[in-house]
Amino acid sequence: MIEVNNLHKSFKDKKNTVKALDGLSFTAKDGEITGILGPNGAGKTTCLRTLYGLLSADEGFATIDGIKVTEEPLKARARLGIFPDKFGLYERLTAYEQIDYFASIHGLTGDNKKQAIEQVIKDLELEELAHRKMVGFSQGQRMKVTLAQALVHQPKNFVLDEPTRGLDVMSTRILRKHLAKFKEKGHCILFSSHVMQEVAALCDRVIIVANGKLAAQGTPQELCELAGETQLEEAFVKLIGSDEGVAA
Amino acid sequence: MNSNIGQFKALLIKEYKEAFRDKRALMVALMMAFMAPIMIMVMSKVVIEKAVDKPPVYIKFTGAEYAPKLMAHLKKENLLDFADIPEKDKAIWDERNIVINIPESYSQDMADGKTIKVHLQADFNDKAVSPPVRRINNAIRDFSLSIGYKRLLLRGVDIRLLNPVKLVEQDTSMPDATFIMISMMMGLYMIMAAFMSGLSVAIDSSAGERERNVLEMLLCQPVSTLKIVLAKLCGASTIAVIGVALVLVLSSISVGFVDLTKIGATFSLGFTKGLTLFLLLLPICFFASACQLFLAFQAKSFKEAQSTVSMVIAIPAFVPFVLMMMDDRPQWLDWVPIAGQSLIMEDVFKGVEVNWLAILATSGVTIAITAGLVAILTQKLKSEKVVMALS
Repeated sequence: MIEVNNLHKSFKDKKNTVKALDGLSFTAKDGEITGILGPNGAGKTTCLRTLYGLLSADEGFATIDGIKVTEEPLKARARLGIFPDKFGLYERLTAYEQIDYFASIHGLTGDNKKQAIEQVIKDLELEELAHRKMVGFSQGQRMKVTLAQALVHQPKNFVLDEPTRGLDVMSTRILRKHLAKFKEKGHCILFSSHVMQEVAALCDRVIIVANGKLAAQGTPQELCELAGETQLEEAFVKLIGSDEGVAA
Repeated sequence: MNSNIGQFKALLIKEYKEAFRDKRALMVALMMAFMAPIMIMVMSKVVIEKAVDKPPVYIKFTGAEYAPKLMAHLKKENLLDFADIPEKDKAIWDERNIVINIPESYSQDMADGKTIKVHLQADFNDKAVSPPVRRINNAIRDFSLSIGYKRLLLRGVDIRLLNPVKLVEQDTSMPDATFIMISMMMGLYMIMAAFMSGLSVAIDSSAGERERNVLEMLLCQPVSTLKIVLAKLCGASTIAVIGVALVLVLSSISVGFVDLTKIGATFSLGFTKGLTLFLLLLPICFFASACQLFLAFQAKSFKEAQSTVSMVIAIPAFVPFVLMMMDDRPQWLDWVPIAGQSLIMEDVFKGVEVNWLAILATSGVTIAITAGLVAILTQKLKSEKVVMALS
């Protein structure tokens, strides 16, 4: 379970101060897929970085399975599988080696590790790529490797920052199937996306973030009703455009 | 505990894989090593030539035809007739105007056993003229003595009677200066090798990874920044150590091919000396990599990292030069990294008994500074500034 509690964060430089998070709170429950929606610059990435423990909030805190990220960052991160906003690959390694690397960092060893790697490679249909060096991989192939490395240790909580960008239809479906499977097993999944259909199809609950605050939350259906629209996209635009009555 | 070691092992193996698969970085590391023998050969050749070379001297002779044997002797000493001068040197030697007059009665006087007066005219105050004049002096004295000795021998006199006291001159100034030059260059080269070899690996694993967006991902993982820094330090300094070891091995082989005895210097790099140097340079390798990582992590981009780190390389190159200029070296220099090592290296090259306490002390200080850099870097990687610079 991921909890974000009254997060405040501003970035100061010599001239001006940018308030990235302004009292954001939400909860992503186990066994649910929670989507974060928000326009560019709404504070999504800042929020997620606070969650990873890369940034420390000015006020408020984030917990992962009840562990405060600021207090025990390593313990908290061990329960996370992260698919970051910007990701790179070690281009001189093979896909298998990269997944192996992250598996080892998460404390997997010996046969357990081997099985876990082979499983995730099979699940994401990476067999053909596994032993190739990653230099020259296409965007979709890179995404898959990054997903595999985030999933290999079967984390209790997933945070995925726009995981479907650059994936082809087949891969997107594989990912969806995977997320649904993990949800069934009771994992907590938090993911941000700009693709409304995907959010509508996949998410149990949607959190809409605007100006560093929670603008609205609920099931996609509830959000549509709240905004008086039939399409989530329209509802989204309406909800972030005017926060009358929904910001509460 | 076990998982801690496993984690570190994984980090380290990954650093090694990346380093050894980076052919360009390896090329740089090995290039320093393979250049070493070439440098030693060329340098020694230049030095030896300078020391033993006798440049030609052109003399205006009058009456050369009366003394062919004397002329032959002078020619052997590279003291030549002005008539044979190449066009480009003509003006210089015309101005220096060294003249030797051989009297017409030369062969007659020689046969009669009379003293022959050969006149040498030159501006003895002219600095450029005095070395040639000294050489002419020696050459003619040698010639004269050899004839004198032969005359005595013919009369059954042991020529050793003529030299009851013999002064054996050993010119210590020239070889010594040359020797210091060579040993300084060698020391400098070795320290540079420690700095150069790991350089590209250090930059690539810090600023390079940041630019390729893999650092952020790594920082999100449940692994302490200390382990990350240590793994990167080990990766880069291993390459540096390999570079230094290769330089030492190749140098010791190539030094064997150079005959420095011609200039009175002996220079050897045996196993013990090599090992001592290696032990001395080992902390430097780690220190160098730590400095490079420290700077590269702070740089905003790969390019910036490259330029700042390259500038830092100039420092170890400076230190030995500055040390040589200093007449009065303050005590604390023995402790400072690079300075301390290069002072000890001087002793090693000289063949003086090595002060192991000094090695321990300077190594200790070097390692302590390295540890300090690692500690600061570990903290820095936790700070928001580094994370902010990621995006």
